[in-house]
Amino acid sequence: MNDPYSVLGVSPNASDEEVKKAYRDLARKYHPDNYHDNPLADLASEKMKEINEAYDEITKSREQGGSGNAYGGGSAYQQQRGGYQQQRGGYNAGYQQRSQAGSNAAYAQIRALINANNLAQAEAMLNKITVHDAEWNYLMGSVCWRKGWMDEASRYFRTASNMEPMNQEYRQAVQYMNQGGQAYRPTGYTNMNMTNADAACNMCGNLLCADCCCEMMGGDLIPCC
Amino acid sequence: MYGYVRPEKGELKVKEYQRYRGVYCGLCHGLRRRYGPMCRMLVNYDFTLLAMLLAGAEETTCDKRCPVHPLRKYPCLDSCPGLDIAADETVILAWWKLRDGVRDERFFKSLLYRAACLVYRRAYKKAAALRPAFAAETQAQMERLNRLEEAKSPSLDETADAFAAILRAAGETGAGTRSRVLGELLYHLGRIVYLLDAADDLAQDEKEGSYNPLRYRFQLENGKLSQQDEAALRLTLQHSHNSISAAWALLEPSPYSEIISNIIYLGLPAVTQAVFAGTWRPRKRERSKL
Repeated sequence: MNDPYSVLGVSPNASDEEVKKAYRDLARKYHPDNYHDNPLADLASEKMKEINEAYDEITKSREQGGSGNAYGGGSAYQQQRGGYQQQRGGYNAGYQQRSQAGSNAAYAQIRALINANNLAQAEAMLNKITVHDAEWNYLMGSVCWRKGWMDEASRYFRTASNMEPMNQEYRQAVQYMNQGGQAYRPTGYTNMNMTNADAACNMCGNLLCADCCCEMMGGDLIPCC
Repeated sequence: MYGYVRPEKGELKVKEYQRYRGVYCGLCHGLRRRYGPMCRMLVNYDFTLLAMLLAGAEETTCDKRCPVHPLRKYPCLDSCPGLDIAADETVILAWWKLRDGVRDERFFKSLLYRAACLVYRRAYKKAAALRPAFAAETQAQMERLNRLEEAKSPSLDETADAFAAILRAAGETGAGTRSRVLGELLYHLGRIVYLLDAADDLAQDEKEGSYNPLRYRFQLENGKLSQQDEAALRLTLQHSHNSISAAWALLEPSPYSEIISNIIYLGLPAVTQAVFAGTWRPRKRERSKL
């Protein structure tokens, strides 16, 4: 394994705070939410694993070395990291779980193909099916999305959701499309928005920031946090 | 070329700007060295980004003079494999765009394109011999694009896919993870460039009755996209932009990281904004190279 410090991009003399900050930045960068149904998701999760391991190794060695006495916050981050992993597990298991709900055996196979990034074969199988029900539209949308045909994907997702409005899976896909997705931006590159949807996404964050500022000054904008 | 891919200059550090300029000059000198003085004119901002992506960690520069700057020598990136590939691919794509012009334009303009083809014929032959795979892919995708245009395809994705596939091929210069990530990044960059160009040309295409995927995908109102349709187009561009960011995050840092980040996170959104606000065209006319 690589040197854990170089994985996080900090020097071995870095303070606990600096290590933590570097770790959090990288975790934000490779967060599975940024690779939602992305064909490069496997590479991102590899990176995530690498930085998790590096961070674990550093915290462990520092605790043993006695320098980590004041390091009470560690467990909180571990929990948070557990959260990331769980989430990632969720995405990976997503297609398999759903496949049990699917009635058609062919759909289960297609889901497995999509999951393995074998889009050409999945599309060929879908094209052979003549009855275009909601699940067919949803799976076609997933194939299109991963291929980068996002306009077509959104139309298939919408059709699927219109055919079965109560289906949580289809509704989530439509929601994710409409909200404009999510992407990492390093600090210093965040001042320009591409769409109005972006501004709407930032609204919650801005409110929280405003709340923090108010709290710092003794007031409170959002009473519950 | 298109010229949609450029940094937001005001946000670059001076040293980053000089480095960017060095790559631009390096590409220009590379084109001259490999293909003669006429091919210099093909240098463009879009392939400067490609050169930076392909150059990786290479950053040896030398000072050179050129006809545009005869009095002062400017630092420019030395020949390296990435830069050479970018130069070859510039010639190949420019050639097929000229061929496309010969086919598409009316008589007199088409004659001009024919004349240009005569000038660049030898250069293309040489470049195609050096990069046969890219030349074949470009030709195949341009022909596919022509077929889709003739059939008046109403699909944004399929027409954009043809152009995007060319850029993907430009980045996939070998096997391995890096090439895969680069291919994905450039695919979505190509998609954005194609769709931005379609949005930018919409009014003119409507006037001349030329093919534009947006005319067949959406119902135009007075020759313009309705607010809802524009939002849909912007949304799909946003998705591609996210894919670019996702791929970019997976590449190793290089001397050009800051410039490329600037292009991706600031330049592209600013250009998109300008195209939709209708303020891009006047700038484009002033600066277009080809």
